[in-house]
Amino acid sequence: MLSLRSCYCLRPITLAHPQFKKLIFSNKPPSFKPIFQNFVSAMSSRPSAFDALMSGARAAAKKKPVNSSPKKRKALDSLDPPPKPNSSLALDSTPPVESQCVSSTSTLDNHGDPNLVKSEEAVDLGETKLRQDDGGKFGGKIGPVANKKCASSVQERTAKLKSSIPELKKKAKDFNSKQFACWNEGERVPFLFLCLGFDMISEESSRITITDIVCNMLRTVMDTTPDDLVATVYLLANKIAPAHEGLELGIGDASIIKALSEAFGRTEAQVKKQYKELGDLGLVAKASRSSQSMMRKPDALTITKVFDSFRLIAKESGKDSQEKKKNHIKSLLVAATDCEPLYLIRLLQTKLRIGLAEQTLLAALGQAAVYAEKHSTPPANVQSPLEEGAKIVKQVYSVLPVYDKLVPALLNGGVWNLSKTCNFTPGIPIGPMLAKPTKGVSEILNKFQGLEFTCEYKYDGERAQIHYMEDGSVEIYSRNAERNTGKFPDVVLTVSRIKKPSVRSFILDCELVAYDRGKQKILPFQILSTRARKNVAVSDIKVEVCVFAFDLLYLDGQPLIQKELSVRREHLYDSFIEEAGYFQFATAITTSDLEEIQKFLDASVDQSCEGLIIKTLNRDATYEPSKRSLNWLKLKKDYIDNIGDSLDLVPIAAFHGRGKRTGVYGAFLLACYDNDNEEFQSICKIGTGFSEAMLEERSASLRSKVIPEPKSYYRYGDTINPDVWFEPTEVWEVKAADLTISPVHRAGVGIVDSNKGISLRFPRLVRVRKDKTPEEATLSEQVADMYNAQKLNHQNNQDDNDED
Amino acid sequence: MLELRLVQGSLLKKVLESIKDLVNDANFDCSATGFSLQAMDSSHVALVALLLRAEGFEHYRCDRNMSMGMNLNNMSKMLKCAGNDDIITIKADDGSDTVTFMFESPTQDKISDFEMKLMDIDSEHLGIPDAEYHAIVRMPSAEFARICKDLSSIGDTVVISVTKEGVKFSTRGDIGSANVVCRQNTTVDKPEEATVIEMNEPVSLTFALRYMNSFTKATPLSNTVTISLSSDLPVVVEYKIAEMGYVRFYLAPKIEEDEDETKP
Repeated sequence: MLSLRSCYCLRPITLAHPQFKKLIFSNKPPSFKPIFQNFVSAMSSRPSAFDALMSGARAAAKKKPVNSSPKKRKALDSLDPPPKPNSSLALDSTPPVESQCVSSTSTLDNHGDPNLVKSEEAVDLGETKLRQDDGGKFGGKIGPVANKKCASSVQERTAKLKSSIPELKKKAKDFNSKQFACWNEGERVPFLFLCLGFDMISEESSRITITDIVCNMLRTVMDTTPDDLVATVYLLANKIAPAHEGLELGIGDASIIKALSEAFGRTEAQVKKQYKELGDLGLVAKASRSSQSMMRKPDALTITKVFDSFRLIAKESGKDSQEKKKNHIKSLLVAATDCEPLYLIRLLQTKLRIGLAEQTLLAALGQAAVYAEKHSTPPANVQSPLEEGAKIVKQVYSVLPVYDKLVPALLNGGVWNLSKTCNFTPGIPIGPMLAKPTKGVSEILNKFQGLEFTCEYKYDGERAQIHYMEDGSVEIYSRNAERNTGKFPDVVLTVSRIKKPSVRSFILDCELVAYDRGKQKILPFQILSTRARKNVAVSDIKVEVCVFAFDLLYLDGQPLIQKELSVRREHLYDSFIEEAGYFQFATAITTSDLEEIQKFLDASVDQSCEGLIIKTLNRDATYEPSKRSLNWLKLKKDYIDNIGDSLDLVPIAAFHGRGKRTGVYGAFLLACYDNDNEEFQSICKIGTGFSEAMLEERSASLRSKVIPEPKSYYRYGDTINPDVWFEPTEVWEVKAADLTISPVHRAGVGIVDSNKGISLRFPRLVRVRKDKTPEEATLSEQVADMYNAQKLNHQNNQDDNDED
Repeated sequence: MLELRLVQGSLLKKVLESIKDLVNDANFDCSATGFSLQAMDSSHVALVALLLRAEGFEHYRCDRNMSMGMNLNNMSKMLKCAGNDDIITIKADDGSDTVTFMFESPTQDKISDFEMKLMDIDSEHLGIPDAEYHAIVRMPSAEFARICKDLSSIGDTVVISVTKEGVKFSTRGDIGSANVVCRQNTTVDKPEEATVIEMNEPVSLTFALRYMNSFTKATPLSNTVTISLSSDLPVVVEYKIAEMGYVRFYLAPKIEEDEDETKP
């Protein structure tokens, strides 16, 4: 159902004029017009537009028992005699009034009306501003004409936008952005454009088509209002700032429910009830019909307006911040039309869920930049400029994940110069390079055949990227690019002390590990996680931390990530001085002897490490940000006897317990995350690995997350009939014996088998991962990789056996 | 150059208190005739219009029309620093991005200057025409405030109906319903205690009580309140400020709901 709102429109009318009522009631919803055609014709013989409107309303009200349509009352506005739908300004019946207004501007001042006080001739700058305001405010001299034109074009634009939106699907080369855009160059891009795009993307499943749509959207913005591109890209990515800035919208469901109820003049209970029915506040917003009329419909939303409001919301803090946030949301909501409320709310919840992955967005951005290229032509040796452009943007984003820098550089310098204009800078964290799991030393030797490699201890702590800036300031970023500087003030002191004096700036990749300096022993991860999270004072620290450094990404103004590991490591060893218990280099050996590695692995386990990381040294040994690369392999002590790595999975549903487990959940349905489709895919049921206390605790915490129906983005077999469904909130680390193909579960469906998924055998719970969000759960792709690796291994083993 | 000296400084404080909860940021417009403000709340349901005429100030100088964007909460914070008997002077230079509030104690032994940053607000200014209303009710402002407060403990909306019997305020909520009828009453000792109802046509309109309650924050400004209703217009709740002007609140009515409202 569409959202409807009525609004009063106050218009500039200054002379008493019997024919024209002073306030004009206007509104828009075009879609209801046909229903009320009868009213329109019946009422149009009335003397004044306004009378017709209101009496129409009353008539509708009186008819209530007869007419069962619940919508009738909202249709007041569609009774506007000149049937111009979707007007947010009440121009339809006012032209003569406006002309009066013009002629009467000089007689205004005696009325005592505040807005009439200042219609004198503008003289200086200050007043020029005023006069401009006047134009908009009460239709000064130029106002009415301009306004009128604008208003009619607003409706036409909406209609045109809607009719032309399917063009976005066109192949990029057939798409003419200038023809498509229905706003002027330099004019703020309407938010509706973005929302209609979202709508279209959500109905597509082909990634190629989605890339085309996004690419065409971006091109349209680039060719008309390039200033809006940053905001557009951020909204498409459903972000408001780069991760390391730690800026979050911080809006709970409660605030949104409040804002919705106030903006639409409904009670919170009504909104909550509908939320229960629809399961998505975005849909609630879309279905909300207002019972509150308005003084005036606000101007149509633009992308920048929405994005700026989002940043304002994120920056509100302190006393009454929730109230202020709510007010920002409200003013966006009241101005939203058509499908805008739906996406507005989803964006606010950062749950866009239209199946647009960030990598797709980056590819589309690269392609759009290639099409818009004015600055340079692709280098002669590039075969397929589109793919190359997408690759460049993705690569640059991996070292500089900041759209505020990347997008302007793209617009000003073009895509072919992007790698030069945008580079890795201290102060902006990059995604850490990740390692692929392996199952045994022999597998490593197989994979790294003929390559020189090194083995390092895999410390069980918290991954950290330490940035030391030229000015001496230090920032520590987590694995997820969150700023953790406040959590480790002791580390800040340590790194400044242990660096050699000649070193001016660096970025260090390392593991922060809880350490007992008295016993010179590494402590388990669980101890580290007891540290306070924010604003830690050095004097209060109870858990000591030792930095184990293993990589250097940047040194004295030079990025090192393109260099081989052997070079980077040399720089690392040359730039710092070890200090036991405070700063140590990760223990490493370089060998290709199987037995030596096995011994080293055992030694690492003895030292309370998780296992080994094995890295190529010279060939294919660059640092690949945010990639789970084959050039780094991890070998954990507990991989060897089961499937390898543990999985991080999200409980999405549960079954009531029976017998001993009555009153708690007896088993849970777990899911992995699929990045491409933005959905959770069921992988197994789990009922073991819980202590009684644990089970009770998990049941209690999940009980508050129960939702009446599975989310639309859950994939599961029809034969699974869980008793309750959950919001995706928790992440559990799970180990299993084996991976199998399953007709019931849906993990990685389509990757290894066209309509069967992968399931875990004998899963057991290891712990709850509080440091991960559901979207950071193990990806279905990874599950498929694990399955394939396992298959390979089994075959290998069989081969071995055969030979034996 | 702008310089407005208001002997009755407490008045400005009261004005701010009455509107700051409804509107966060607003433009104050100064011209040779007076000091005014017009703003809508964030949901565009209510509008506040304030006028303080030049004659009401002891000294009023406004060389050029100025529009000053202020955060009303911040302004209220500053005005709270003025004593109730203080004389308040508002000063601003042309083109300046600050405004200065000067507070003088009545004995002239203490003078404080507070400078506040102005902000750029693109407000939508609406023309508000004089209209003829179907019914105009004038009643003691404290009485009106009391009714709104009482009703809001029962329901969220108030139906205001004017008939020849009088004016009826009614609400309905989960716990029950309430009706308050005020009859015309001009036989009182003091004129401000009278309830006067002028009616051309009976009207009945529904409003969100939340807004009404917010309007009644202006009660200290005036002993009486005037409520003007027409079935096709927003209601006007006006508090006159003696010899100076008014604060007027406009509120768009609710559209009566079907019972099955929650069902889409």
